[in-house]
Amino acid sequence: MSDLKSIVREKLRDGADAFLCLKNEEGTVLPALITDADSPDLELVEVGDSRYPLGKILIDLLREYPDKRFAVLVRGCDERALVELSKLEQVDLERLVLVGVACSAEEAAACGCLRPYPSDIALGEKVEAAPGREVIDEVESLSDAERMAWWREQFSRCIKCYGCRNICPMCFCKDCALEEPHLVEPGVIPPDFPSFHIIRALDMTGRCIDCGLCEEACPAGIPLRSLYRKMQDIMEDKLEYRAGESAEERSPLSFLGSEQDIEKLEE
Amino acid sequence: MAENIGGDNGDEVRILAFLCNWCSYAGADLAGVSRFQYPTNVLDVRVMCTGTISPYFVIKAFQEGMDGVLIAGCHIGDCHYLKGNYMTAKRFGVLREALKFLGLEEGRLRLEWVSAAEGEKYAEVIRSFTEEVKALGPSPLRKRAKAGVEA
Ligand code: FES
Repeated sequence: MSDLKSIVREKLRDGADAFLCLKNEEGTVLPALITDADSPDLELVEVGDSRYPLGKILIDLLREYPDKRFAVLVRGCDERALVELSKLEQVDLERLVLVGVACSAEEAAACGCLRPYPSDIALGEKVEAAPGREVIDEVESLSDAERMAWWREQFSRCIKCYGCRNICPMCFCKDCALEEPHLVEPGVIPPDFPSFHIIRALDMTGRCIDCGLCEEACPAGIPLRSLYRKMQDIMEDKLEYRAGESAEERSPLSFLGSEQDIEKLEE
Repeated sequence: MAENIGGDNGDEVRILAFLCNWCSYAGADLAGVSRFQYPTNVLDVRVMCTGTISPYFVIKAFQEGMDGVLIAGCHIGDCHYLKGNYMTAKRFGVLREALKFLGLEEGRLRLEWVSAAEGEKYAEVIRSFTEEVKALGPSPLRKRAKAGVEA
């Protein structure tokens, strides 16, 4: 198995103009963009166990440098994000070289996403994982009134830091509904229940690739991932779509579709 | 009626209805001129096509204290803009499930197809939806109801 450093060199030699990955600078992990093989950063690159939504940086890089090609280190979730972002016309997969990392058994177990590995694995061994459904099952066992009380309690801790949105690899809008004063009153903490959170949940529907960074980032420990996971289950159940799976098939919420789709939905 | 809807009207439930200009709005008109009886605690908003209704509008309606939201548009296949109501069916199918997961009773959001010729159906939809929402009582998302719980 080759190491990351030699992969970076190889990709730069083979036509990528830059390699985007993470580096470890005296214990601090941060994104690194390596543009030539002599870069001192090359000594610091590592796969590590940190995660970062590199796709967000790529959106800007691809726009800023329309004639450049980028290689990027991707875990399963990063790859799903890029696939979905390409259908939303935010990244151009043709100008990207994906270097896949499979999450370790410990990472996969701790994260619990559906597919903790990318389609092409250059580093690491593929392991399967099972998404945790405890929170969803718990919520679904409650009555309507109890469910509302449960979520109200969870969301009462929200300090409206926007961390969930800011870390989210799938959030790229310039104008965000969460900053629309008619929907989310400025200066009110916690934000109105359930508007703030349902707006985010809806915007994640058919889009969230279940990386779990939102929940990791949330300083209030709100089980956001379970909410967005449930939205993807609804999406799969009603409209037979799961974000990040196919590079061609687009979210049914992003185009009108056909009468047959609606007949199926109404059954 | 409008001040009743916006203001404090005690036990009465408040319903917001989004009606498509080309069908249900005319259906409501027909129900009126045909003198079909139906409850009056509905505030309607005429839209040019149900496909223009953002889920945010519905969220906003509940946030403002509506107890039920009705969306009524052209039958599938009859949308004036051909496919606008496909989006309606998809969006609100998803939104209803999402609200349910958060604990808002499914019955508070209803989607119906009512043509311009279906005055009777319009009256019936309003009657049955009002009954359903009444049975559920005031929305748990009403600001007042919330203050009541906290007090
Ligand atoms: S025009 Fe009536 S639903 Fe589209």
